[in-house]
Amino acid sequence: MSQRPVADDTARDAWLVALNPTAKVASVLVLGLASIVFPSPILGALIVVALFALAAAMGYFRPFAKLMIGFGIPVTLMLLLIQGCYSPQNVTVIADLGFARLGLEGTLYALSTVVTLLTFLGGFYLMNRTTYTGELVADLTERGLPPKAGYLVLASLNVVPQMKRRMATIQEAQVARGLDMGGDIISRVRATVPLLGPVVMSSLADAEERSMMLETHGFHLNERAHTSYVVVRHATADKPLVIASAVVLVLSVAARIASVAGVLPL
Amino acid sequence: MKIEIKDLVHEYLPGMRALDGVNLTLDGTAPVAIIGQNGAGKTTLVKHFDGILRPTSGQVLLDGHDINERSCAQWSAHVGYVFQNPDNQLFLESVRHELEFGPRQLGVSEAAIAKRVERVAKLVGLSRKLDVNPADLTPAEKKFCAIGSVLTMKPEVVIFDEPTCGQDLAGNARLERIIRALRKSGRLCITISHDVKFVCKCFERVVVMCHGRVLVEGSVEEVFSQPELLKQSYVIPAPVTRVASAAGMNKVVFDVDSLIEGVKAERSS
Amino acid sequence: MDSIIKVDDFSFRYRDAKRCAVRHLDFEVPEGGFLCVVGPNGSGKSTLCNALVGLVPHHFNGKGRGSVRVLGQKVADQTIAQISCNVGFVFQNPFNQLSYTAGTVAEELAYGLGNHGVPRDEMVRRIEQIAGPLHLEGLLDRNPLELSGGQIQRVALGSTLIMNPRVLVLDECTTQLDPLGSEEIFDIVKKLNEDGMTVVMVDHDMERVARCADHVLALSRGNQVAFGTPEEVFGDPALEEHGVDIPDYVRISRTLEDEGLASGPVTLTEGACAERVGKALGR
Repeated sequence: MSQRPVADDTARDAWLVALNPTAKVASVLVLGLASIVFPSPILGALIVVALFALAAAMGYFRPFAKLMIGFGIPVTLMLLLIQGCYSPQNVTVIADLGFARLGLEGTLYALSTVVTLLTFLGGFYLMNRTTYTGELVADLTERGLPPKAGYLVLASLNVVPQMKRRMATIQEAQVARGLDMGGDIISRVRATVPLLGPVVMSSLADAEERSMMLETHGFHLNERAHTSYVVVRHATADKPLVIASAVVLVLSVAARIASVAGVLPL
Repeated sequence: MKIEIKDLVHEYLPGMRALDGVNLTLDGTAPVAIIGQNGAGKTTLVKHFDGILRPTSGQVLLDGHDINERSCAQWSAHVGYVFQNPDNQLFLESVRHELEFGPRQLGVSEAAIAKRVERVAKLVGLSRKLDVNPADLTPAEKKFCAIGSVLTMKPEVVIFDEPTCGQDLAGNARLERIIRALRKSGRLCITISHDVKFVCKCFERVVVMCHGRVLVEGSVEEVFSQPELLKQSYVIPAPVTRVASAAGMNKVVFDVDSLIEGVKAERSS
Repeated sequence: MDSIIKVDDFSFRYRDAKRCAVRHLDFEVPEGGFLCVVGPNGSGKSTLCNALVGLVPHHFNGKGRGSVRVLGQKVADQTIAQISCNVGFVFQNPFNQLSYTAGTVAEELAYGLGNHGVPRDEMVRRIEQIAGPLHLEGLLDRNPLELSGGQIQRVALGSTLIMNPRVLVLDECTTQLDPLGSEEIFDIVKKLNEDGMTVVMVDHDMERVARCADHVLALSRGNQVAFGTPEEVFGDPALEEHGVDIPDYVRISRTLEDEGLASGPVTLTEGACAERVGKALGR
């Protein structure tokens, strides 16, 4: 997530990269919400189709499809089995599977859950691929997010690769002392115990030094607004995007109310 | 133990050669220092001596046995490895437990372990700190604790990675004693170091690595009498050596005493 | 010029510690000076560095006596952030001096400026200014976590220098680097000092200390055992009794003198030492 997208204006996804990061996050969240609120899975399904089209236009259809299908199919099957066959709301039977009957109400519920999950998943995937985390955090900080919260997000993302490297070294050091990392699961789990001490110990030592670094770089200065070297992008399409998403949400809420009131047969 | 390395190549990623055809035979008990710039392949090379890393191609033989015949844990009984950062190595609640851990893994009897711990603790200077938690030791003491935890396993080969890093005068003197003690008990000590002063003082054989290959190897005298060649791997001879050569002395010297002797000898001749 | 650093009978004991980490330190460094702090492990070198940047007593609690003044102001009376505008600090482990918030070296360099609310235009200007001397021009768009230790240490030095400090405190900042990496850092520091920056450096390489320092402070078990010019400090034969290492150049000239082979004041550089040996050889 922290990888910086190469600023290439000729890339197919250049316009998506150029959008304001917060606008992208907000749109994904609002559309996801709309899909939850809307009284049928149709809206979510439409959004998912639109996301597929967008991914194809951006040139990453393959990884996108792999993620969506890899996640979508098992979840759909699982939910269909649980909700479609065993939901207490089931009244209308649409199919007899032999071992159980598939109910319409449960099936609809399962489908709307799946499309909502896919809306969030696909939306965040596209957002993530086209947004530099540093820029998102800089943008949120400008909009009032406390700098310390922003630091937490970035530091936890960046520390992970460093921790992984350290784990590998510690494991090497323990194996070199005669610790056997092979064998059955129990002995392997037992073998990881000696790794924990050094991981905790060296992480603590690192944390101490890092906090010293932060303090000597003015991390705790609160009186002045923090600034960032990262340029936060703003595009003319930001507003229309957020407004359009908001309109979809408003319409979904209206549809929901109408449906509850019995005006809309959904 | 005899370590033979034949055409050793190691690639961390396909096409990225950290070792690019190393040929080397290490035998006997004369301590060996491996020097060279970071990224020259020193650590990658020695990690093949106990099987932490496996050759991408080529061969590593320990007393005639291919390194691939056994796991790293199995080789650890024969080849001890002291890592640069002791925090990565120590994990038990007391120095005593750290020293006992290795031999216990090897199935050594309790009586023998107690003896080893006592002797090694004395050598590494931690006799009075056996019941201290390693976390409460100073960084230099931690390093000696890590060394001790390897020495109690009585490996035939001991590898040190940058042992002088973070040591002062007293720590260096202790390291020197440890290396001498290892030699006396017939063990081969292999050390990676940037500290040329320390290398010249304690080691007899030097291997200079550069770009994944052995640039030059031989006795300390042979290696450090070629300053031009050493420049390729940014190795600069020790101050005493440089002073002697700048003063036009005929002999290559490594410590103050031999420089003075050399001066006396050249004056009288 | 007045002293930029003034340490006045300063003692400090960390909370829960049995003995003082430093005791009765008393010395001054003039603006533009180059002070090297030497001594065995546990002699209080790091405590002194921490006291100069305010980590002692603001980050590490304990009991202090006496005072440490930088630019005429007591360190104890300012916050670490305030002090850090005047005093830059670089320590041993390069990896622990990254902010872990930056995707590029340029962002890393600008990190401290961001905390001080410096506008972006000014950041860009200052990055351009320091990238050259630190040899970072080609690295500005790289991910700092993918650099070598020596490169990261140059970035750490840069992220400190970008605040335009008047004093630079270096606590064994080359210990974990290879000879080339540490020489590169060192050349940069030497150049900064020539341009007027006051430097306080803890270093184990005694030959380097002798070559560069205009003042040397020797500590042992928290006590100030010597302070003065390198000639004065290393010329004192009692220094080694405190466990303080001395440059080989000094050792050679002293032994030549003791053996009656060549006499003169202690030598501090390779050239002077070689000349003395030449003299002993009768050349």
